[in-house]
Amino acid sequence: MILNLLFFYFAAVIVISALFVIIKRNAFHSAVALLVTLIHIAGIFILLNSEFLAAVQILVYAGAILVMIIFVLMFLNVTQRYRMFNRQKFIAFLMGIILVGEVLYVISVSAIKGPKGDFSIAKIMSEGNTQAIGRILYTDYLFPFEVASIILLVAMIGAIVLAKKEPQ
Amino acid sequence: MIPLHYYLILAAILFIIGMIGVLVRRNFLTVLMSIELMLNAVNINFVAFAHYMDSMTGRIFVFFIMTVAAAEAAIGLAILISAYRNTGTTFVDEISSMKG
Amino acid sequence: MPETFLPESYLPVLIFLIIASGFAIGTLVAGWLIRPSRPYAKKLSPYESGNPPFSDARQPFPIRYYIIAMLFVIFDIEAIFLYPWAVAYNKIGLYALIEMILFIIILFVGYIYALGKGALDWES
Repeated sequence: MILNLLFFYFAAVIVISALFVIIKRNAFHSAVALLVTLIHIAGIFILLNSEFLAAVQILVYAGAILVMIIFVLMFLNVTQRYRMFNRQKFIAFLMGIILVGEVLYVISVSAIKGPKGDFSIAKIMSEGNTQAIGRILYTDYLFPFEVASIILLVAMIGAIVLAKKEPQ
Repeated sequence: MIPLHYYLILAAILFIIGMIGVLVRRNFLTVLMSIELMLNAVNINFVAFAHYMDSMTGRIFVFFIMTVAAAEAAIGLAILISAYRNTGTTFVDEISSMKG
Repeated sequence: MPETFLPESYLPVLIFLIIASGFAIGTLVAGWLIRPSRPYAKKLSPYESGNPPFSDARQPFPIRYYIIAMLFVIFDIEAIFLYPWAVAYNKIGLYALIEMILFIIILFVGYIYALGKGALDWES
């Protein structure tokens, strides 16, 4: 009962603030709405027994990526008087509404079944969320983990090359 | 007990809001924020399936998606800064010098 | 269908959030109900008896802040990868230690590059 209540609260706030992200004219207001969305998605993760991911969501998205976006906003200092939407806005909104209908139809008629893994809720609770993630990540997913480090390295070098001003 | 479908519907709506944002907004920064919304919708799907299928793979995948999202935001914002220096605008339809 | 999952260890967090947001909303609503509301243009200006504001409060600031923020994001993620490794260290052992050293070395290359390009120099 209380879980349903919490889920509907989180879902409603996520959808409303996501709408605010795309309809607010001032990009600062969009950024704050995005912050609200991200924090409530962390709440959804806690409802799904992934508390470590909820912490990572708040640390990485709300704490780091959003700070970076706001820094660039401060650098650019965009004016508030401009045309907000592209020319294709009507067809885009129409397509969006049609796509929502299609996806809702497909989700409602499809029965979701598949093979069960061996990480039941009781097992994760007894082992601990962070330890379960660490044990699988550093045994079965070692290669993606190293690839992630290469991606981070490329992002760092690329961002420095692109953003650093050449000395005149 | 919340059915899995509720999470799927929430993620679908969030994804489509992000997609509309990418399509309609002119400001590059808002487009980047909409991309973050789409990535988060995918994350919700992954975690929901992992929870209902008793699996760990989806949760680890979300971890990697967050890494890639940070890299994507860093590169995207650097491209924006570079484009702003060269053209003096942040609107995606005015940065069109490569258009045929 | 899995068995019902109830994150009851987060109940104090929930109560804390309800009390905190309830206090904030309650004080705002109480103030809005009690205070008299007679606004005019001078009273609504940012400095009521000071200079009139002559520009936007949001000044553009230099780009090196962006590079600092970007480096913070990258190394933040590196630190987050360290957490599950440290918690599960007893179960995964030496091989994971070698992998983690490799991971840190790869990101250290990026740090050396940032130092060499002068991305961390404050005076320029």
